[in-house]
Amino acid sequence: MNKVLLLAEILTVASAFVVGLHPNILYASVFLLFTFCGVAVMFLYAGADFLAGAQVIIYVGGVTILILFAIMLTQWLYKIKLADIRNKMLLPGVLSIAVGTFLYRALHQMVAALPPQTPEALEKFTATPKTALIGQALLGGYLLPFEAITILLLGAMVGAVWLARPE
Amino acid sequence: MVQSAQFAHSLEGWFGFLPLWGWAAVSALLVIYMLALPFGGMATYIERKIAADIQDRIGPNRVGPIGLFQFAADAIKMLSKEDFVPKGGDRFLFNLAPLFVVVGSCTAFAVLPLSKYLIGADVNIGVIFILAVTTLIAPGLLLGSWASENKWSLLGGLRAASQIVSYEIPVALSILPVVLISGSLQIGQIVEQQGWTVFGENPATYHFWNAFHNPFTFFSMFLLFVGGLAETNRIPFDLPEAESELVSGFNTEFSGMRFGLYALGEFCDVFVMSAMVTALYLGGWHIPFLDIEKLGFALPTGLVAFIQFHMFMIKTLLVVFVVMWLRWTLPRLRVDQLMGMCWKGLLPLAFFNILGTAVWMWVFKGQSLMQLLAGHG
Repeated sequence: MNKVLLLAEILTVASAFVVGLHPNILYASVFLLFTFCGVAVMFLYAGADFLAGAQVIIYVGGVTILILFAIMLTQWLYKIKLADIRNKMLLPGVLSIAVGTFLYRALHQMVAALPPQTPEALEKFTATPKTALIGQALLGGYLLPFEAITILLLGAMVGAVWLARPE
Repeated sequence: MVQSAQFAHSLEGWFGFLPLWGWAAVSALLVIYMLALPFGGMATYIERKIAADIQDRIGPNRVGPIGLFQFAADAIKMLSKEDFVPKGGDRFLFNLAPLFVVVGSCTAFAVLPLSKYLIGADVNIGVIFILAVTTLIAPGLLLGSWASENKWSLLGGLRAASQIVSYEIPVALSILPVVLISGSLQIGQIVEQQGWTVFGENPATYHFWNAFHNPFTFFSMFLLFVGGLAETNRIPFDLPEAESELVSGFNTEFSGMRFGLYALGEFCDVFVMSAMVTALYLGGWHIPFLDIEKLGFALPTGLVAFIQFHMFMIKTLLVVFVVMWLRWTLPRLRVDQLMGMCWKGLLPLAFFNILGTAVWMWVFKGQSLMQLLAGHG
């Protein structure tokens, strides 16, 4: 077990617990940022270098900032205390356990369905750069979904420009 | 983890007695103490000297010869100031926020190609890495301003975050033409390909500086520079700390070394941005029209690294100089002008540049303007 990877996993899980349980929503979103960073490190150790970079750019630079904006621009949202929500913990708790179990089982089945790998092959796979592979996949077998997403994002960008116009 | 911690690997190879992660820590400390901190310190002095020159004043001249040790005096002053957290502010976030800014800008130093043989870690995703770690700055500014419990700070922080998030897009898009040309995100490789000499002994894969690869990349360089200015909150994009409107913006309530960390982070960020312009568009460590490794006789590697390092620093510091020069030349933009410029000016231009570069690569089979002019390649 790699020590840095272990640290990243502890960081991810511990911050995730803070996100779920902290009474102050602002702190929860700050620790969400640490969770995202921890996940990025885990991506790195899985050999997904490009994905790790994209994870930090999109989630730390984009999503966390959006969440912080939403909290800061919404009146009184950040002053909700745990006392207000303690009696509402049951449903979210059940839901999160259900979703967690489902995800774990799905992931477990996916891993079990993979052909068995030798440690050396895994090591080699982790060490190869993935950026070119991702690019070839996006412009090869996954061209149609890629183009659909591109059009969607272009529409979003045009919409943003339209919203930002004066008047 | 591909090729990561290259420098740490060579240190381990030379000296040995520490494990690899120990040498990684040592090289991180080396980067911070030998590069980031001295640069941040000297930059404050140089900025004041340039300001003084432009405004026909003398500038700092008391501490040491021509005021050279001003930054040391400033550091001592900051360290001895009262460590103050505003009443009603959030102590935890107030302490945490400056760290985000410093970590974000100092980590980027790890992949800066100072020379062919002097690069912290020439990772595969070098360009993405710089973009990724510098995004940590935005939450730092936002959280610090919130924790200050001060409306001017909060306004400044919100402005900073929205500005950084918006201008990240044109910055990333104006890097893409370079990626198209070199087919790599690895900064060392991108710089290596920009070597070119008049005698043409280089193979066809070497073109001249990316800025002169084709007309589109030339414009792209300016887009990257302008976007970088906005991301580092420099004039004319210094709305987050507009003195006439917001006292001092997001750092109003910060005092002592915490304020120092903000200033240091900002200067490091300016350096990283300038180094990015240099490495991606201005040929990085290459001396124009000369390849010092193909002179006909072999120079020692140490000397080559020394010369390349200075070449890189000269180019980068020239860009930094332009940044400081602009500060005393241009007025500040309004918020709506700022957003309009990003979404209606830089963004379409960046798309146009990517398209233009792609067409150029297709029409001329990837040859640069210089290769076409010289007729080889």
